Amino acid sequence: MEKFEPVIVAFCCHYCAYTAADMAGSQRLDYPPNVKIIRVPCSGKVDAIHILKAFERGADGVYVAGCLEGDCHFKNGNLKAEKQVQYLRKSLDEIGIGGDRLEMVFMSAGMGEFFARKAKEMTEKIRELGPSPVHTQLEQQARQKAS
Amino acid sequence: MSYQLDNKPDNRVLVVGGGMGGIRTMLDLAESGHSVVLVDSARSIGGLMTQLDRTFPTNNCDLCTLSPHLSQSGRQERIELLTMTQITGMEGERGAFSVTVKTAPRYIDMEKCTACGECFKHFPDCVRFTPGLDHRAPTCMRYPQAIPQAYSVDMAACKDLQALVDICPAKAIVPDDTEKTRTIECGSIVLAPGAEVFDPKGLDYLGYSSQPDIVTSLEYERILSASGPTSGQLVRPSDKKQPQKIAWIQCIGSRGIQKGAQSYCSSACCMFALKEAMVTKERFQDSIEATIFYMDMRTFGKDYELYLQQAKERFGVRLVRCRPHSVVHKQGAQGLEIQYLPEGQAQQVCEEFDMVVLSTGFLVGQQTREMANILGIDLDSHGFAKTGSFTPVATSKPGIYVAGLFESPKDIPETMVQGSAAACMAAGDLSAKGILSGQEEEFPPERDISGEEPRVGVFLCDCGENIGGVLDVQKLADYAQSLPGVVVAQSVGHGCSSQSMERITSIVESEKLNRVVIGGCSPRTHEKRFQDTIRKAGLNPYLLEMANIRDQITWVHAAEPELAAKKAQSLIRMAVGAAKMARPLADSTLPMNKNALVVGGGVAGMTTALELARHGHKVYLAERSAKLGGNAAKLRKTLEGEDVRAFVNGLVEKVKASENISVITGAIIVDHSGIPGMFKTGMQVGPQMFYRQVEHGVTVLATGALGNHPDQYLLGKSDSVITQLEMDSLIEDKPEKVKSWSNVVMIQCVGSRSPENPNCSRICCQAAVKNALRIVEINPDARVFVLYRDMRTFGLSEDYYQEARQKGVFFVRYSQDAPPKVDQGQDGCVKVVFNEPVIGADLEVEADCLCLSTGLVADDENNEDLALIFKLPRTKDGFFLEDHVKLRPVDLPVPGFFVAGTAHSPKNIRDSIAQAQAAASRARTMLAANEISTGAAVAKVDGQKCAACLICVRACPFGVPFINAEGYSQIDPARCRGCGVCAAACPAKAIQLMQFEDDRILAKLESLFERMVA
Repeated sequence: MEKFEPVIVAFCCHYCAYTAADMAGSQRLDYPPNVKIIRVPCSGKVDAIHILKAFERGADGVYVAGCLEGDCHFKNGNLKAEKQVQYLRKSLDEIGIGGDRLEMVFMSAGMGEFFARKAKEMTEKIRELGPSPVHTQLEQQARQKAS
Repeated sequence: MSYQLDNKPDNRVLVVGGGMGGIRTMLDLAESGHSVVLVDSARSIGGLMTQLDRTFPTNNCDLCTLSPHLSQSGRQERIELLTMTQITGMEGERGAFSVTVKTAPRYIDMEKCTACGECFKHFPDCVRFTPGLDHRAPTCMRYPQAIPQAYSVDMAACKDLQALVDICPAKAIVPDDTEKTRTIECGSIVLAPGAEVFDPKGLDYLGYSSQPDIVTSLEYERILSASGPTSGQLVRPSDKKQPQKIAWIQCIGSRGIQKGAQSYCSSACCMFALKEAMVTKERFQDSIEATIFYMDMRTFGKDYELYLQQAKERFGVRLVRCRPHSVVHKQGAQGLEIQYLPEGQAQQVCEEFDMVVLSTGFLVGQQTREMANILGIDLDSHGFAKTGSFTPVATSKPGIYVAGLFESPKDIPETMVQGSAAACMAAGDLSAKGILSGQEEEFPPERDISGEEPRVGVFLCDCGENIGGVLDVQKLADYAQSLPGVVVAQSVGHGCSSQSMERITSIVESEKLNRVVIGGCSPRTHEKRFQDTIRKAGLNPYLLEMANIRDQITWVHAAEPELAAKKAQSLIRMAVGAAKMARPLADSTLPMNKNALVVGGGVAGMTTALELARHGHKVYLAERSAKLGGNAAKLRKTLEGEDVRAFVNGLVEKVKASENISVITGAIIVDHSGIPGMFKTGMQVGPQMFYRQVEHGVTVLATGALGNHPDQYLLGKSDSVITQLEMDSLIEDKPEKVKSWSNVVMIQCVGSRSPENPNCSRICCQAAVKNALRIVEINPDARVFVLYRDMRTFGLSEDYYQEARQKGVFFVRYSQDAPPKVDQGQDGCVKVVFNEPVIGADLEVEADCLCLSTGLVADDENNEDLALIFKLPRTKDGFFLEDHVKLRPVDLPVPGFFVAGTAHSPKNIRDSIAQAQAAASRARTMLAANEISTGAAVAKVDGQKCAACLICVRACPFGVPFINAEGYSQIDPARCRGCGVCAAACPAKAIQLMQFEDDRILAKLESLFERMVA
């Protein structure tokens, strides 16, 4: 079997996390390509259905990245996002996907280095956790179809 | 058509200096329909603030709040930026200036440069110095978001010119670039050149030039900064270890202490040091010891006193009142030794620190003085532009205005206020009044795409080597072509070059595309440009999706090209999937009501009303009392000795004479409705309380504050006890009484900086110094004692404090725990007992007059009513709370509302006038438009699905949704900020945020995982 390369979705808020990701770019800071960013206006916009859909379709890890506490351009969307994430982590534990695959992180727009480090950490963590059960199942199905 | 009118010299303002103040002036003017040429001698705009890590009092990261302002400034169409440019000559007068400027060669064609960094990568020798510790940032762009986004070449350092020219993929290097001179015709000029920072090299006893671990506060800021030389790691320069014990020494180069120092106070350094100390403890290690050596803690700004309390109590920052004797490095010792004499002790103390930060002050640079000379404006003895008490931003030359540090030392919010005030005044000199047409550019009519199957065009940039060097763009285009729905997929080189944009436009037209995907850089910087591109082809601008394959792929995965290619395919797939879901959206518009409502008829309210009236707006000036004038009507003299009464009377006459101002006295605001640009406000007017309603586009609150009257020190119980305000009139009206006095005692901070009213009233120290000087002027034999906690004669008023000391006024410090004691004395005198810390004994003075500095407090009752009616937030102590305490000090958080004068916080007349002019400028930026644009990224409710569960009502951070008469949630698009929190929270999924609809986000996820499932 080929080496496991996790697919990780990062929902990044426009004002801080997405800007930090761009900043990591301008500073040419390497991080694993496993992380795929989806831009949202505010981390508080990230819906449970978005996160669950990602896992349903085979994501091995998801994280929501918002502004630092007190910096949210929409007052407290980031804290709302954190609540949502904490709640979903429990649900993911209950349904056997594992809450550890979901994380909330906070960063300011200037923290490109932190963004890159977080992407690395998350990828390493998910690599250790292995493929999500949904991912494994989907691959099996695909293989059966092929054969 | 409007553009040509805009660009005539009589509608043009020249702004000198691209720091925060200049940027604010430029944006205000451009948004009000004027054209602006901004010149800056630096290589990019941004000024001092871009070097800061975080700013007080929010301790936020600066770049995050500043960069949107900067990219805004790169975008505005009526703005021309000339960097590396200085003024060399000036002719003409107000209304018709002719200014010659000289631009130094950059050796780079900014039209072509894409800021790819190839030149730097191969020729780092051509990099110039940037402020910072190791002084060599990875690019000569001073900070990552520098505008203009272009490099510059140091030709003198370049050894192989041809190789440098060849390395540039955009062919942007121009080796034969030369100095250019041109003449700018303009109607008025605003000077915002900023200031320099004192260089402590000359002060040998501080050891700055010999010890690497002694840094200036700005250098320390660079150490803390994520984009600084240590990438945000707190390490000391000598051994790269984290310091455990850091000292700040205040007033370096300020308040006249050291060799070469200025006599004034630099105003911002106390807050600066507190911030650095707090950020250090907060971000790195709470165990780091932070000590600030200071003379007076000058935290006089809005809520700054609370910040000081926080530093002391929550963060344990140690404050030591004294002026250290020296900083020395003993041989063999690890740290730096500070020798100082603690207050009330006779023995000198030596204490060791790992690092010492010198809080260096501001001073006017030589280049600025030369410019002032060329322009022929008067400077004061320190080199600051001379202005008047009632004309805070007007220089001695008509038509030339000043903002920011060149006016006097100040912090960022005050610079922003002056930036707007200068914009207001400069616009007043233009004969062509700025008017914005609804549309900036002529676009063809929008094509109706309803019913069409998605026809997607994918355009991929190679951005020179930036993308092309890592990805095979042609291969990626072939891949994109294979995706369902994609009609065209092409590589377009530099997509943002005008050539490529024209090509995209023509392909959209010829192939009848109805969705466009751009694979290139970040939508943060380029979405607007590509939206305009497809709009030119007749497509709705919201039918665009961008895949960020540069910043988030090739720049970060260059080491793994295969994986990068795979990820690029994913991103393109996601973008195509999402683009198919994109809907045409309209920025909804409504007609703008060009009238203004100004609440409050004091100096601030009248000033705003007059400025708006001068620009042709109808103003309703509602005053609660029976006459105009406000608090200032009770004042007689300013600190500088100017006549307040004559000024206020003149203002009242002008207001009454203005045809555009309708004064409504005896007006009590009772109701309010509408959206920004279309408000309706009801009031009850006059003794009969008639109801009257006015319609207006903006509202300015200038409701003032109240003189404090605390029940302390026999105030109101003895005729010999008066307030500073009463003293001001008494000196003017009864000089013979002043002549009879032997002893006068003044007590500062009465009713301020106390548990009941924790804030500093800002104006009292100046008032005390002003009145003390006037008393000794009339009666040189009088002994005047000023009992203070910290003398806060900030900025240039420090000179008056020094003058008062020289003239024999006694300044005696008292501590909050041991306040002076006051008793009824004999013959109407008042007995004041206080501790004199220098001699360490109690003194008793029989005062003929006890004068209390009682300051200002918020008009709580009135403000509470107005806050409820207008739905505005207030500070803890009852003042109106601005939208952003740093960058938007005049705008209130509700769009269309502005604040001026003491309704914002305690301030003197001069600062009130500046803020009033600023409020007029900010209001004009809104009123200049003919239509109210309510944007497209707003939440929309599907009434059929809504269960009226109130979750959105509670979730919205701005209180916008409400349940309407039909029983479902309604969201006012004009007030929606577009965060989408309601959409995420809605359990019935009845709310969708436009541009970020659920099906669009889900389409991205579906597309991302397509291959895995297949």
